[in-house]
Amino acid sequence: MPRFLKILARNLLKGPSTEAFPFKEAFTPPRYRGKVVMNPNLCVGCGICTHVCPGGAIMMKESEDQNGYYFMVWHNTCAFCGSCRHYCPVKAISLSQDWHNAHYQSEKYRMVEHHFVPYLHCSSCGAHIRRLPPALAARIYSHSSVDPATIIRLCPDCRQLATAKREGEVHESSPAPQQP
Amino acid sequence: MGFLSKIAVRSPWLYRINAGSCNGCDVELATTAFIPRFDVERLGCKYCGSPRHADIVFITGPLTLRVKDQALRVWNEIPEPKITIAVGVCPVSGGVFRGGHSIEGPVDRYIPVDINVPGCPPRPQAIMEGVILARELWLRRLEKLEAGGGERRAALS
Amino acid sequence: MQESGVYITLAGWAIFHLLVFPGGLFALGIGLFLKGADRKLEARLQRRVGPPLYQPFLDLIKLSGKEAMIPASAQRLLFRIAPLLGFTGMAVCAALLPVPGVYAGLPDMGDMLVYFYLLPLPAVALILAGSSSSSPFGALGFSREMTVMFAYEIPLLLVILAVALHVGGGRGAEFSLGRIVEHQLEHGQLGFNWELIPAFLAYLFFLPGTMGVPPFDIPEAETEIIEGPLLEYSGAALAFFQMAGAIKTVVVLGFGVALFFPGTLPGGPLVNILWFLGKCLALMFLTMTLVKAATGRFRVDQAFAFYLRYPTALAAVSLILVLARL
Repeated sequence: MPRFLKILARNLLKGPSTEAFPFKEAFTPPRYRGKVVMNPNLCVGCGICTHVCPGGAIMMKESEDQNGYYFMVWHNTCAFCGSCRHYCPVKAISLSQDWHNAHYQSEKYRMVEHHFVPYLHCSSCGAHIRRLPPALAARIYSHSSVDPATIIRLCPDCRQLATAKREGEVHESSPAPQQP
Repeated sequence: MGFLSKIAVRSPWLYRINAGSCNGCDVELATTAFIPRFDVERLGCKYCGSPRHADIVFITGPLTLRVKDQALRVWNEIPEPKITIAVGVCPVSGGVFRGGHSIEGPVDRYIPVDINVPGCPPRPQAIMEGVILARELWLRRLEKLEAGGGERRAALS
Repeated sequence: MQESGVYITLAGWAIFHLLVFPGGLFALGIGLFLKGADRKLEARLQRRVGPPLYQPFLDLIKLSGKEAMIPASAQRLLFRIAPLLGFTGMAVCAALLPVPGVYAGLPDMGDMLVYFYLLPLPAVALILAGSSSSSPFGALGFSREMTVMFAYEIPLLLVILAVALHVGGGRGAEFSLGRIVEHQLEHGQLGFNWELIPAFLAYLFFLPGTMGVPPFDIPEAETEIIEGPLLEYSGAALAFFQMAGAIKTVVVLGFGVALFFPGTLPGGPLVNILWFLGKCLALMFLTMTLVKAATGRFRVDQAFAFYLRYPTALAAVSLILVLARL
């Protein structure tokens, strides 16, 4: 008996191996790279994601009133490669398991992940600053005695001033070094 | 006669146009069609070789300058009523090739696309979702056609 | 007056046979069912679920609502007539088809030579379609169709001759299909006769060739010459080709059943119709579905050489055995 007949007979006996998908939920692997999700509370606005995105799908733009910036991923040009997730320093970007991408043409420009990330105001001079998430601040200032909660509310200039002031205080309070 | 339309949409014949695709989406289309795991024939679909037989046409690729005229010619050969599905990000927006010197896309500059299935490539299940959306749209069009009566081409566009 | 009444009744029966019982609706229904079963079985052989059994009906309804296009450079008249030619030829064939135990065929009209002339009509229709569509793929398809047709007609002719001479039994050849079925019902089925087993095998080889299923789907190779002669057809014209194909399935399978296994079951006509259907299904599974699911495609020269070698040799062996006994 030729081998192909054996295979065909086995196929007939085993029955179909088809997924039940259009009628039931499909299996999605846990590490599937679906639509991009961004957490606006973590974003520091560094823009590395727009730089590494091969499809140019990510746009970051300052708002008209300069109160913050828009973060936008257009899924119709996103290649779902995961570079943005890989390069994001604060892990603000992740890829969900959502692969339900098919849509009507009328919804073409609504296939976006869109967030508005507001600027903070410097607590000392009132200038606009990009947010520094507390977790990142704690990591940066872990070797220092500064309180990260207060310093993240300062703009870079005021932060510099505050540092200078603090260093000066340290010098005044400690005795001057003995000259040999 | 809505009854006949409901029957008709259960037999969509598929045709694909490769408008300069990298073949990734074509492989996914072939997977959807021929691999027992997905078996699009359950929905009554059949891949046909001739554009004249098609009801649902898949377009893959960003519509390169080289292939533009041929792709549009083949698309015009498909009899009405037809549903156009853009498969992959390239025909939808140009994808990673957007702005290239030889890219004429996105496809909807030249062809009225009905359904988009983005992905690079989309997974077969997403393509099947696109086919299901296409069936719904096709049914709506057929019903509109029946209501419209004689103005066949006008009702379709 | 009485004579004209007889003629009117005869004409009425002829129309009934052509449109309703073995031809027309019955053959079309069975043919579409067989096509659906073919697709379903093929899917199962490849571990798929496959379309529903009634899918060919849905396809026909869909096709009838589509826009029918005619290429600008086509021969319009020929292009329109071609699908009708194949369909009508097959409808006539189906009307003459005996369904053993139910319908004896028309003993004076249902002649095997008529079948020999009518069976190639769908192929001729394809040839006309391919040549009139002005498409290069159509031209390629029709030249291939002609080549393959000449190859598979030869074993068919030898099979017909062998059966006719055997049934005629020294008094000459018996070509009437109705009488052949009668003869077998009295003297045993020819498929169990060792002289005619090679002829039966040759007929099995003939089936996939005439139905154009892989590996002999050379003229309509959709991956190669994008369905060849059918390339330019759309809408209702394509539906006619599909219907002709469906009826042809019944005709060639039923012809094989009538030639070799026309045995009947005790019981009413309904039982015998189901029995006929079962035999057709078994024959189709063996010669079309199984072969289709397991093979690729021959080149046209390979198919030609194949038909001139094996089926022709088998049928010739049968013919020689029959002639030696006379």
